[in-house]
Amino acid sequence: MLIYILKRLLIAVPLVFGVLTLTFFITRLAPGDPAAFFIQPGISPNVAEQIRAQYGLNDPVPVQYVKWLANVLQGDFGRSFSRAQQPVFDVIAQALPITVTIAGLTLVANFTIGMLVGIISAVRQNSFLDRFLTVTFLFFYSMPEFWFALMMIILFALKYPLFPASGLNEIGAEGFGPVEFVLDRLWHLVLPLTVLSINGAAGIARYVRGSMLEVIRQDYIRTARAKGLPENVVIFKHALRNALLPVITLMGSSLPFIFSGALFIEVIFAFPGMGRVTVEAIFARDYPLIIASTFVAGSLVVLGNLFADVLYAVADPRIKL
Amino acid sequence: MIDICTKRVYAMFRLAACLMVVLFALSSCNHRNGSQGVVVKGGGAMDSTLVIAMLGDADYLNPVLGSTVTSGNIIGLIYPSLLQSEFDTTTGLLNYMALEKKLREVTPGQGKKDPKGALAKSWTMSEDQRSITYILRNDAFWNDGKRVVSGDFKFSYQLYGNPVIASARQQYLAELIGADKGKVDFDRAILTPDDTTLVFRFYKPVPEHLALYHTSLTPLPAHQWKNVKPDEFRHSPLNLQPLGAGPYKLKSWQQQQEIVLASSRSSNLPKPGTIPLITFRVVPDYTVRLAQLQTGAVDVVEGIKPEDFTRLLKANRQIEIKTVGLRVYDYVGWSNIDQNEYHKSGKIRPHPLFGSARVRLALTEAIDREAIIDGYLGEYGVICNTDISPSLKWACNERLVPHSFDPAAATALLREEGWLPGPDGILQKQGRKFSFVLYTNAGNARRNYASIIIQQNLRSIGIDCKLEVQESNVFFESLQQRKFDAWMAGWSIGLEIDPLDVWGSDLKKSRFNFTGYQNPRIDALCELAKQKMEPTGARAYWLEYQEILHRDQPITFLYWMKETQGFSRRIEGEELNISGTFYNIDDWRLRPSANVAL
Repeated sequence: MLIYILKRLLIAVPLVFGVLTLTFFITRLAPGDPAAFFIQPGISPNVAEQIRAQYGLNDPVPVQYVKWLANVLQGDFGRSFSRAQQPVFDVIAQALPITVTIAGLTLVANFTIGMLVGIISAVRQNSFLDRFLTVTFLFFYSMPEFWFALMMIILFALKYPLFPASGLNEIGAEGFGPVEFVLDRLWHLVLPLTVLSINGAAGIARYVRGSMLEVIRQDYIRTARAKGLPENVVIFKHALRNALLPVITLMGSSLPFIFSGALFIEVIFAFPGMGRVTVEAIFARDYPLIIASTFVAGSLVVLGNLFADVLYAVADPRIKL
Repeated sequence: MIDICTKRVYAMFRLAACLMVVLFALSSCNHRNGSQGVVVKGGGAMDSTLVIAMLGDADYLNPVLGSTVTSGNIIGLIYPSLLQSEFDTTTGLLNYMALEKKLREVTPGQGKKDPKGALAKSWTMSEDQRSITYILRNDAFWNDGKRVVSGDFKFSYQLYGNPVIASARQQYLAELIGADKGKVDFDRAILTPDDTTLVFRFYKPVPEHLALYHTSLTPLPAHQWKNVKPDEFRHSPLNLQPLGAGPYKLKSWQQQQEIVLASSRSSNLPKPGTIPLITFRVVPDYTVRLAQLQTGAVDVVEGIKPEDFTRLLKANRQIEIKTVGLRVYDYVGWSNIDQNEYHKSGKIRPHPLFGSARVRLALTEAIDREAIIDGYLGEYGVICNTDISPSLKWACNERLVPHSFDPAAATALLREEGWLPGPDGILQKQGRKFSFVLYTNAGNARRNYASIIIQQNLRSIGIDCKLEVQESNVFFESLQQRKFDAWMAGWSIGLEIDPLDVWGSDLKKSRFNFTGYQNPRIDALCELAKQKMEPTGARAYWLEYQEILHRDQPITFLYWMKETQGFSRRIEGEELNISGTFYNIDDWRLRPSANVAL
């Protein structure tokens, strides 16, 4: 398996590199100017020129590419144009833990809710409850996340002010004790996580339902029932464990979707995570930051897929990689 | 086999759960490390903290580099300033104040700004208007206890003028000795005979008000920055630890989240801020900013849209809307020249549709500007005649009568110009239809609203106007390259009138003359006005300037907008001024929550 992982990682290198090269040319060739902000009355026309010279944007694009390549091969992705010229990885190091936390918690919530709904739907197949859950979840699934988020804010932060509308913590939270601080952080995460997880859970519920229905019809489930085991044990111990196998692969492949969902959520709920970094970098034409964000996102997608494949093999000894 | 497999599955889920707990703890630790210092306890943090919602984070808290509005607001609270300035609403003139001197006498009811915040005791303008000498106070100190001296200014001006640093304020140095030859000669242009004397010398006579404006750039402490090389200036770690002398100092800065300022107990410029803590919180989404103002999570939100006023005030009686203006207007730009021809051969030819002033006048008369104001801005909009704001009372030509909405007159004018209805109802002239695309930038609900009314108005007189919305950066680039025939945009004007960049006939030099409008008389008037040593002396020139623009209609001026800010009623003592919402924020007070009337 180790060889398999190494092979996959080696294949990933040119893949990620290709993505970065594409991003480099797309950003450089798209209209817009990183120095555009400095082109306004009252600001000397020299300023935009000086800024462009500092960023090395006066060179032809192929020359810029060669220079960029030389730096990237040495591990230097450059400094951000729009964020006080911080090294781009410093910007990302501040933002990534926040997004990973949101994505991770969403993943947990997605699977917990999705599995629960999927099991109920499968066990009560074609009942009113099954149909009700299916319709309700599909309703939320088809809702655009940003709109759903705004509706949640209007409902639960404005009409019934139960949760905060934005930010990671309360004003003055630095004075809280550790427990209070963590609770405050969790309280701030309720709305965004609900939005992200209800959307994701709907898809997972469908998978679990399908997988459970298949397993329930297997001989060993009939045997378990025939042995006189209680229904709980049959469902959770014998059926669910086996039904979860295909769901595991979903974990890795759902990572990119959760990251892209976090993008909207971070802008709306004012979380300084990767999503906001990327969106703001795109609007500011902050080329180094766009490329570094793409690198992180691309690597996570590749690793997520690899992780899913490996997990599958680890979970099911019948699969050999 | 199945049992082993299922156990592994469960083990993995357990492992994932543990990982999540670790991650969550990590992200929390990361957050806590960002904060430091005093925490006000008792009575709730909110009672001692003013919370201001902002759209985006500050770029730099360094006056040489900071270029966003947020940066400007915060820098104004942290750093000392040579002079205090104030906008006189009765005359529309800017006044500058040192401790013992004012540029002009204050109209009764004005002059609320305390000159104690100024570093200069007084100034003297030389008779030939070629130099200005400041006498600085000797009791002003940086937060580290070192005295603020004239050398700090000379050092800072060298930074402002350094092309490697590329400060957005280098234009302020344009009159200093050497600037006419392309490089300021700092040894001759700025003299510091002693710690409290500061002399600026110009290569030409400069009006006093302009000299004051251009020499009052915010200083940096030379002793803190002297060892930083220019090419490291933009990313120096010192940018994260601003050393100031103003009423507030930086307590913490969690980038993209919040900036917390604490009242600086040692400040005498003019005094420690009254409110102990001010938090500037980044909330990028408008709806969320509004929700936070409504729930009391933030105290100030700028740029509230008129359509939200009623609901907001009804939902929370502790909110009030304050307005300030008029500095911002929207317009429809018509390309006066044939842009394609200009790009191809550099020749100036009238635009086939908008080249005639009479056609442009007809377009203005065909647009129902009152309907746009009534439908969107209400009492917060005023018809715009030219780019000189009614707030600049000393210069505004109040005799101009706005072109009224008159589709019949517009049709008649167009007929006289040869535009007659074709078989499809669209006007035609020599086989060319009156059809064009009106571009505007994305994400501006007001302009979207206005553009739809404009489209309908023009359609009713037989003009086919298609609408296209572009991403802001792309829109701005196309505008600069003079690619559009027609567009809708806006300007925010400065408080000193200097419109040559927008209307100058030299299209290479006047980078913001997107329409290609050329009128030698406008050029001459702008130059004549600049030569006047006292701004009010140029009034006659500005009146004529406005008459010409009103006649020629190089663009259709739509409306001036009042800027509208939402305030919590727990703030007391705030005075809004056209020069800025936070103009006297160091004097604001917070009513304790228990005393706020419901």
